[in-house]
Amino acid sequence: MHIFEPLRPVARHLPRASKSARSIIAVLFGCATLAAAIPAQQSATTAPDIVFKNATVMTASHGTIEHGSVWVHAGKIAGVGATVNAPAGAVVVDATGLWLTPGIIDPHSHSALDNDVNEATSPVTPSMHMIDAFDNRDKALYQALAGGVTTELLLHGSANMIGGQAVVIKNKVGLDRDAMLFPNAPGSIKFASGENPKRVYGGRNQLPSTRMGNFEVMRQAFEDAKNYTATFDAYNAKVAKGDKDAIPPKRDLKLEALADVLRGKLYVQIHCYRADEFLTEEAIAHEYGYKIRAFHHALEMYKVAGKIAPEDTAIATFTDWWGFKDEAWDAIPWNAVMSMRKGVRVALKSDSNDHVRRLNQEAGKMVHYGGATEDEAIRMVTLNPAWIIGVDQQTGSIDVGKDADLVLWNKDPLSTYARAQKVYIDGDLFFDVSLPGLGTPHFSGVMHGDNEAGSDDEEDGQ
Amino acid sequence: MKKQVLSIRLTTKYVGCPILAPFFWRKGGKPQNYFSAGSIAAVFLAFLTLSAPAQDSTNKVIAISGARLLTVSHGAIENGVLVMANGKITAIGEAGKVTIPKGAQLVDAHGMTVYPGLIDPETNFGLTEIESDQNSNDLAEPSDEIMPHMHVADAFHAETELIPVARLNGITNAVVAPASEDTIAGQDIFIQLAGADRDAMILGRDVALAMNYGAEQRRRGGRGGGKAEFPSTRMGLITQLRQTFLDVQDYIAHRDAAAKKDDKPDAAKDAKPDAKKDDKGDKIFKRDLKLEALIPYLKGERPVVIGVYEGYDIETIMALAQEFHLKVVLNHVTHSQEVLDKIAAWKVPVIVGSIYDFPRASERFDAVYTLPAELAKRGVKIAISSADAGGPVSSHSSRNLPYAAGFAVAYGLPYDEALKAITLNVAEMFGFGDQLGSLDVGKTANVVIANGDPLDVRTDVKQVYIQGVPVPMVTRQTKLRDEYSK
Repeated sequence: MHIFEPLRPVARHLPRASKSARSIIAVLFGCATLAAAIPAQQSATTAPDIVFKNATVMTASHGTIEHGSVWVHAGKIAGVGATVNAPAGAVVVDATGLWLTPGIIDPHSHSALDNDVNEATSPVTPSMHMIDAFDNRDKALYQALAGGVTTELLLHGSANMIGGQAVVIKNKVGLDRDAMLFPNAPGSIKFASGENPKRVYGGRNQLPSTRMGNFEVMRQAFEDAKNYTATFDAYNAKVAKGDKDAIPPKRDLKLEALADVLRGKLYVQIHCYRADEFLTEEAIAHEYGYKIRAFHHALEMYKVAGKIAPEDTAIATFTDWWGFKDEAWDAIPWNAVMSMRKGVRVALKSDSNDHVRRLNQEAGKMVHYGGATEDEAIRMVTLNPAWIIGVDQQTGSIDVGKDADLVLWNKDPLSTYARAQKVYIDGDLFFDVSLPGLGTPHFSGVMHGDNEAGSDDEEDGQ
Repeated sequence: MKKQVLSIRLTTKYVGCPILAPFFWRKGGKPQNYFSAGSIAAVFLAFLTLSAPAQDSTNKVIAISGARLLTVSHGAIENGVLVMANGKITAIGEAGKVTIPKGAQLVDAHGMTVYPGLIDPETNFGLTEIESDQNSNDLAEPSDEIMPHMHVADAFHAETELIPVARLNGITNAVVAPASEDTIAGQDIFIQLAGADRDAMILGRDVALAMNYGAEQRRRGGRGGGKAEFPSTRMGLITQLRQTFLDVQDYIAHRDAAAKKDDKPDAAKDAKPDAKKDDKGDKIFKRDLKLEALIPYLKGERPVVIGVYEGYDIETIMALAQEFHLKVVLNHVTHSQEVLDKIAAWKVPVIVGSIYDFPRASERFDAVYTLPAELAKRGVKIAISSADAGGPVSSHSSRNLPYAAGFAVAYGLPYDEALKAITLNVAEMFGFGDQLGSLDVGKTANVVIANGDPLDVRTDVKQVYIQGVPVPMVTRQTKLRDEYSK
């Protein structure tokens, strides 16, 4: 159920669906079997308290504390500052000479899906759920964990204008599948635009083969969704009037999912490169009354950042990847910082099993390309991606009450030389470089996956 | 309409707008076809590409002072002075111990770090512009596996936008190699990342033979799709290579015999160019460009760079290389942990990379990250390449070369070795060790000034000198940045 239920922030800035529509949807989802039950946090209550002492604490929300301490209680951050009031029995981690940051968060990943990234058989596939392909034993998760990554948004690929629904994971390598799902994370749906859909379907002589076709496919999908909702509204009205002969309309999973978009029940995450397409996407969102949570890739955001910032749409962008396709020809490595300076919330993302392992370095590049402060840079791989996913109230910074998702580094994490020493998720140790073998306290065995790249952008739908 | 169909056919895999369409949109024109698009765009690109160091300014004497000098060859000099004149380094040393010539242009570099221009040991500069656009790619000729007569110099597009982008981060030289589909893919060039034209930028043609061995080169899907063709297995690849090398030996013997005959005046006189046989009934020697191209490599005169990943493949291809006495440089070796001692015993240099290649599912996360350190520990001379993980070389990422070296340091490679692996070692592997790769008197003045450690991602390169001339720190990307920062 949870992956369909938005947190309050979604509803706050999105048009509210009518009560009747909501009740119908609730009924519908009551029958749905797709949703996995997400268990409550495991093991946190019995774990001993932990105190990190004398660390350089990069909080991501309120600056860096030199020689700082962080206290972890019951899987949550219970204290942070120059000193903390941890109980005497707490396990002390001497972090002298080490850096402590929030767990790294990747808001754009296709890892651990065994290449089931694109259902590239139709340009509109909103009822696909990435959780159905999630392989929690994929080695990519472990390799990312060793790079300090604690949370990932696993997205559908970009072959389709409207792809499928994402799964949010906590990178608890070694636990079972359901224990790796992020509790109470809101649902996200992946949209795409530009070259990929038109290439995939144009290559088969189908609609869309142009950007005109791309956007028309989207509009038509929302028209269908509106009609679908209206049918249910009419049925609901009949039932409310006591019409016992009213026949319920046929359920359609695809249109249900689109209706969820229109009702603001899903965060919209759009693969989009070009400046003109950001504007078109925002216009369509206004036309149909949904909000765009983030543009992904967003390589030309620096051209129109001033226009997009008031929409409260974030970006999840590459740092310096460019030239791999026509719509990446105007990519510049200053995009992230320039867009940030114009008020856009900026996250860096991997879209790659490679880059996910060193997102901290990608953040470091922002100091170089545009002069981000270290605070701004670390936020691009922690708190800002958490916002894009919709879990910024739970994780993404070192603040009291948040999940104890923490990484201890041997060097400044924004330098080339940093290595994650220990990675904690919900206060539990999931990676420790000093351990022999894989360094994973919760895992010993055989991982899956020699499907390497983990990106959908080049080869999807081929 | 017809032209649209054509464009779709030409770009079967990526049906998209022509490579340089954006330029036309900005210019308000419409491309008539690919060829006019390409030529006009080429002019535009040429305009954007930085002009070469002007001839007259090469004579200017420049003295950089106050910086930390990373010489690569003889340690670091704090508060050092470096003098460049006539394209060369003419003096280097501690402040006060170096005489700055009268009239020299002084560059105050206090707080800065100065180091030799970085050298990327494997790129496809000038062989690609936009990866997904076939029209901009001249990466490999996969119609046959044995293609030594493919000369990268013939395809090298000097005005590529990739070069200034890499140069902005301190890359001043590179090896350009064909892509890896063929067991023998062609012959590399060694370039300088600035120059008046192609000829000025190519410092060496056919400097090395690009070979590859492993799963990728098998023709399981034929050549360019379809049914399997020979060689579809490693057995096929090896036997084809061995036969080729034997053919070259045979070719050398016949050529030498023919040359001997040519030395006799009467034979030369009698030979008619188009005759199949001369008067004595001997065959006239006919040149074979493919076999001829391999001669310097079979004579061990130039290096053969062998791209190979797996340990067992390395053992197989090295056995063949030793059989024919090739002068080997191993490339990649990212899944070779079990044969590192053998690599050291063979005393062959190694280009390691990508350092970001993925470990196997059974391996620790840092199994590849630690390879440069493990090889260096065994006394192997290493270079580090800029490639990203899990795929072909992407020279769009060449600007990240120093960070790959820095990452090797994070995983145990001594700092000085890491810097060597992207400067002097590369120069030496490709025959430019006497000209490039370190801050030494007499070497080409390819010099970089940065505001900190060159291997750190946070460091900003402030100025690049190529042949002693400051290169404008401008690229198409900085122009876009500046245009939209107004």
